[in-house]
Amino acid sequence: MRTLSAENSALLYALAAALLIPVDVPAQSVQYGPADIELGGQAVGVITRESPAIHGRDLSEGYVTQPMVMATATFLSDALEVKGTLNLEGVTMKRGELNAGILGEGYIDRRHPHTYLHELVITGQRRVGDNGGSITLGKGFAPFGTDDPMARPFEKYPINHHLSQILERAVAIGALRSRRVILEAGLFNGDEPESPGDVPNRARYWDSWSGRVTLVPFPQGEFQTSYARVRSPENARGGGEDQHKQSASIRLEDAQHSGYGLLEWARTSDYVGSARTFTFTSLLAETSARYGVASGALRLERTERPDEARLTNEFKTPLPANDLSITGRSRWTIITGRLAVQVPVARTLSFEPFAEVARIRFTPTLRPSGFDPAQFYGSDRIWSFSLGATLRLGMSHMRMGRYGVARTEMRGMKMDGMKMDGMHMHSDLPKRTTR
Amino acid sequence: MKGFARFAAALSVVACNSDNSMLPPTGSQALAVLGQGVVTDRYTAEIWVRGNVAYTTTWGSRQAPGNAVNIWDVSGNVPTLVNTVIVPNAATLGDVQTSDDGQLLIVATEYSPDGSIMIYSLADPVHPQLISRYATALTSPGVHTAEVQRVNGKLCAFLSIDPGGGSQARLVIVDLSDPAAPTQVFTAVMGNPFVHDVYVRDGILITALWNQGITIWDIGGVGSGSVANPIPLGSLVTVGGEVHNVWWYHNAVTGEKRYAFVGQEGFASIGFSSTGDIHVVDVSNFASPREVAFFHLDGAGTHNFSVDESRGILYAAYYNGGVRAIDINGDLSSCDAANRSLDGRCDLASMGREVANGLAEQQPVFVWGVQLSGGRVYASDMLNGIWKLAQVPVP
Repeated sequence: MRTLSAENSALLYALAAALLIPVDVPAQSVQYGPADIELGGQAVGVITRESPAIHGRDLSEGYVTQPMVMATATFLSDALEVKGTLNLEGVTMKRGELNAGILGEGYIDRRHPHTYLHELVITGQRRVGDNGGSITLGKGFAPFGTDDPMARPFEKYPINHHLSQILERAVAIGALRSRRVILEAGLFNGDEPESPGDVPNRARYWDSWSGRVTLVPFPQGEFQTSYARVRSPENARGGGEDQHKQSASIRLEDAQHSGYGLLEWARTSDYVGSARTFTFTSLLAETSARYGVASGALRLERTERPDEARLTNEFKTPLPANDLSITGRSRWTIITGRLAVQVPVARTLSFEPFAEVARIRFTPTLRPSGFDPAQFYGSDRIWSFSLGATLRLGMSHMRMGRYGVARTEMRGMKMDGMKMDGMHMHSDLPKRTTR
Repeated sequence: MKGFARFAAALSVVACNSDNSMLPPTGSQALAVLGQGVVTDRYTAEIWVRGNVAYTTTWGSRQAPGNAVNIWDVSGNVPTLVNTVIVPNAATLGDVQTSDDGQLLIVATEYSPDGSIMIYSLADPVHPQLISRYATALTSPGVHTAEVQRVNGKLCAFLSIDPGGGSQARLVIVDLSDPAAPTQVFTAVMGNPFVHDVYVRDGILITALWNQGITIWDIGGVGSGSVANPIPLGSLVTVGGEVHNVWWYHNAVTGEKRYAFVGQEGFASIGFSSTGDIHVVDVSNFASPREVAFFHLDGAGTHNFSVDESRGILYAAYYNGGVRAIDINGDLSSCDAANRSLDGRCDLASMGREVANGLAEQQPVFVWGVQLSGGRVYASDMLNGIWKLAQVPVP
């Protein structure tokens, strides 16, 4: 797999830093020539303490996490849209972020940094009343599962991230919408990223597919079920186990964005040829509510994960693994609570201090096992405490994971903008049309 | 709405775990357990026995990481731990072997910052002294196995390198003539996606290339090949691929060298379940090897082998299936229709070729390696340590 050079990484970082500077921020969006452009960004500063984190030891660590710069440009009265997201976690948290139980892309119990080019897609769409169709090409989310956790209430990721989303792939997606029903189908590369500078492996383009059916019975409700066949996600050159993935969810959010709820079920089954090897299931419920500037959120999650061999850095796993074995399977039950206060700094710039507490319990589900979690962590329960603040420029109520006519959120809600030199403001344009 | 809820509920039914119990067949007698050396702080991996000393490596993360070589006195029935060597900067020690003259101990390291082999002097067999650590960019990210063999008088190590860090799996051959300064004599990318092990004998190298099956190379046995310039002679993708290891059987009685036994390492959950058959390949024509038979055990998969070539008994480590002893005498390609699979291979299990089994009464076990030495069978058990068993009784 190819990697971005240090120079390119620095360039990306500089670009992102420049875009994060708030310059005269009251706009909703801006007009630049024929383009309607929206910009936004966010970064989270957080300190996390886990007790115990590993071998009975507590760990406290701090990060700048989820630093992102986002831009959307639409042309021809929304018929054409280009959307991009830069993610700079590869710069700010290369060692990963303490997140007990999480697993993926060579990290375990620390969440991996995402790739620098998180998302860059072009979408062509045509709408006729409540009906329409769209085609999306680029790098981004496959039509599967639920919203990216980055666009949800909690700073700490649920550990089902790799069961419930398929992202950072080269995608080709077709979507059709007929009033309340949305159908999506997509092709993508099965290989997961191996590093922040990684790009989809060209030899793997279109070897995997997924489909999602969404029902929108009323504007605040969304029901989806989806299915994916992913070829050798953890061995970029192929030859690893394939995955068959299923997801179903119910999502509710009121029009004022003061209340939100998600109930999600996901399952991933590993396959060697036609033989199913192991299955990992997740059930998650989360809700949040806002009262004025204060907000609270609660998440319950029960997820099975494969346990894998570890490197000398015990927060890392071999990537790829050197055979088809797992060291065991464990079930993680996590209750997470969050309190936050939003401090408006400017119209589109917000500062939100928060605290999150998680109680984590786990148990092996295959016995005997080549990995005994209680023996490894020094306990079968972990506490996680996080204190931090989110700086957000625009982007309030943004969702991630859908394109074109498959998006169900109101456009004016997904991303507030910022003014740039040479751009014409048009905040009075009618943006609150349901897409 | 109600239908959707029913659909979601139906999908949420948790999959049942597979049954991992397996019973030895009628006619398979139990190998007597003579003794056990218990290891519970680490998972035990490979085993090598020379004389009255056994070396076992360790793997993965338990109370302690897999960075230890345990050294056992096996002169009595009960193996006694006499020393432990800790290898720095290693998370797993997948392989261990002594040189044919007993002067060197070679240990493969995985999941260290760079894979390596540790080369120890065995001037005192129970107190190995480190001579050198061989690590290069081409041994990264890990040395899965290190086969130590003498080829045309030159002691060599054949290193099977894991893929990772953007590089593919590869074979590296190292000249150990000067153990303080090993030198690489050959390397090539091979295996899809892994190369797990090799077998070297009579100037022939057989590589275990996972889904590419096996490849047979001349390294001085039949032509102009050498360790510096292996020449491929033939290859075969065995049924199911996933080729992990090979043993080229030389029948000590008849002199026949017809069969290579190929181990398939299928999916597994360490300690709990495993899959993979033994494949019998007729290599009488190196240019055109063909699979003629197989051995399948329900509920368990094979790992490493040791063969009693004078009696025609193959001892196979079978992870959660313990140890299985298989009669490999005679024509393994010949069987009646009832014992032949649809693809024409003979089914050694249904032919009643399993003659003995070990550790069926000691469950749970997860046997990584097995070695016949001095008329005893030694087994390394990931969960429990080392076992000493009686061999198949002589009739």
